[in-house]
Amino acid sequence: MTDTLTRPVAAAPAPAAERPRHRPSLRLGSHAFLMLLLIAFLAPVAWAIVSSFKQPNDIIRDPLGFDVSTFTLQNFLAMFQDVPIASGFLNTGIVLVIKGGITLFFAPLAAFAFAKYDFLGKNLIFGAVLVTLMLPTIVLIIPLLLEMKALGWVNTYQALILPGAIDAFAIFWMRQVITAVPDELLDAARVDGASEFGIYWRVILPVIRPGLAGLAVLTIMNIYNDFVWPVVVASSDRMATLQVVLSTLAQNITGNRIGADYATVTGELLAASSIALIPLLVLFIVLQRHFINGILAGSVKG
Amino acid sequence: MTISTLPSAAPRRTRRPSAARLRRRSAPYLFVLPFVAIFLAFSVYPLIFTARLSFTNWRGSGAAEWVGWGNYTYLLTSEAFWNSLGNSAILWLLIVPIQVVLAVLVAVLLNSAKLRLRGLYRVAFIVPFVTPLVAVAQIWVVLFDQQYGAVNAILGVFGLPDIGWLTTSAWSKPTLALLFLWKTTGFIVIILLSGLQSIDQSMYEAAELDGATKLRQLWSITVPLLRRTIMFAVVLQTLAVFQMFAEPFVVTQGGPYNSTTTAGYYLYNHITRGDLGTGAANSFLLVILVMVLSLFFVRLLRAKD
Repeated sequence: MTDTLTRPVAAAPAPAAERPRHRPSLRLGSHAFLMLLLIAFLAPVAWAIVSSFKQPNDIIRDPLGFDVSTFTLQNFLAMFQDVPIASGFLNTGIVLVIKGGITLFFAPLAAFAFAKYDFLGKNLIFGAVLVTLMLPTIVLIIPLLLEMKALGWVNTYQALILPGAIDAFAIFWMRQVITAVPDELLDAARVDGASEFGIYWRVILPVIRPGLAGLAVLTIMNIYNDFVWPVVVASSDRMATLQVVLSTLAQNITGNRIGADYATVTGELLAASSIALIPLLVLFIVLQRHFINGILAGSVKG
Repeated sequence: MTISTLPSAAPRRTRRPSAARLRRRSAPYLFVLPFVAIFLAFSVYPLIFTARLSFTNWRGSGAAEWVGWGNYTYLLTSEAFWNSLGNSAILWLLIVPIQVVLAVLVAVLLNSAKLRLRGLYRVAFIVPFVTPLVAVAQIWVVLFDQQYGAVNAILGVFGLPDIGWLTTSAWSKPTLALLFLWKTTGFIVIILLSGLQSIDQSMYEAAELDGATKLRQLWSITVPLLRRTIMFAVVLQTLAVFQMFAEPFVVTQGGPYNSTTTAGYYLYNHITRGDLGTGAANSFLLVILVMVLSLFFVRLLRAKD
């Protein structure tokens, strides 16, 4: 940096020289690199969606083949017949709305307390939040399952919703966001006679909307994709979430590895996987900008 | 602890300062209460239960017998336990270094304002991240099938022999690592992008005037300033790799020959066998390991500051 000061003359034509510095070859190189990665990142999903419309036998005989004239809905029809995918969607939807609602309301509320108040035990409780972050989910599975059995909650919505509602990462992250809100804003609201909860509702929540949008997308993703806990606690067909339905299908495939059976199950599997990934893909592509900006808004800075 | 930092609120509230103060003092407790209640019921209580369980030979029913440190010494002297840690360590090596280098390159390129098609690239890197793991894992099973899979079909086009991606212990780990890389690199890119946003652009302008090449700028400015964010990503991914469970569960069931029995999957094995006491002890060994690794990386970060 000090060098620039010693060479003012050489630096003078810099604005004009700046453009040619990005040589076309370099720009071409980075595009080639990104394009290659783009193909690698999109190919498996594209392949799965395309293959789900193929005849089961064709998927196996010629996995790279592509003939639109032979496309069929056979895999989807078979899949709807064989696995409770509709109720899987319904269960996932119910859990998503309630658990997501709890997280999006209570996590910023707790984060608000950690960011803007001093209270006895604050550090202790926040330390607990951080420890929870490091705890492998699987560690708690045995005792949680036993707890659910004792409560009579196995195969219920409570069991799917309550453990893990208000997740630690959400608190940790919202605290970062809320810390950045200026204290003057809160003081002004207090002067105007706002209650402490009123401050949360009318001042904090509107101000942190970008971060909240990012949290919403992450929360939706986590709940939608969660599978280990639901497999353990909600394995009955009636309660199975979408991911549980999918993983049951997956276990079928390893059980049926011979000939026609393999083709049929593979077809159903690809149909189910394609259907399962479409809602979030659409959601994300529609909310792409909010999602990335939201995550950047809550990011760990410095 | 006292609320002396807010003098502006005082003047108008001189009449009933105590009531307002009381409300303000009690508010944070009410705000954290829902979290604390859920935390106590579904994290702390189960954790204490697990701690006790780890000293017994309980199998899910009947009476539990106190075995002291028995489960721990059993695990620490068992080959299968160390094999599971070894598998996770190899997966870490196959994943984290590659992922960090790749993600830094992608993030830097995506951060450039002059890049065309930026929106398209961003979407592409996010697609794997938003795709349900179970769906992806199943696609992997089909894609990498030795006999019928598309990957071997592509190799065949080039006259290369079929590879037993998921059926030989030499290839099972790289195949699993590829799945993990594919699935999570987009997320690391987003985290790194957030770190890049906080770098002062004037440093690049200065370097540009000095005639520093792009590669030189990347190495001398971006990487050092991004160190904290990179370390954060490394810690996150270390936790994730050592807890990895769903991938081997769906794709390989820990095989072939236990080559993909990760630390997380091995833990699950105790549960399916009904060996709950050993499973609990294994949980704690894993927690300790994960915490030591996290602290190690945090220290590494601090040491250079």
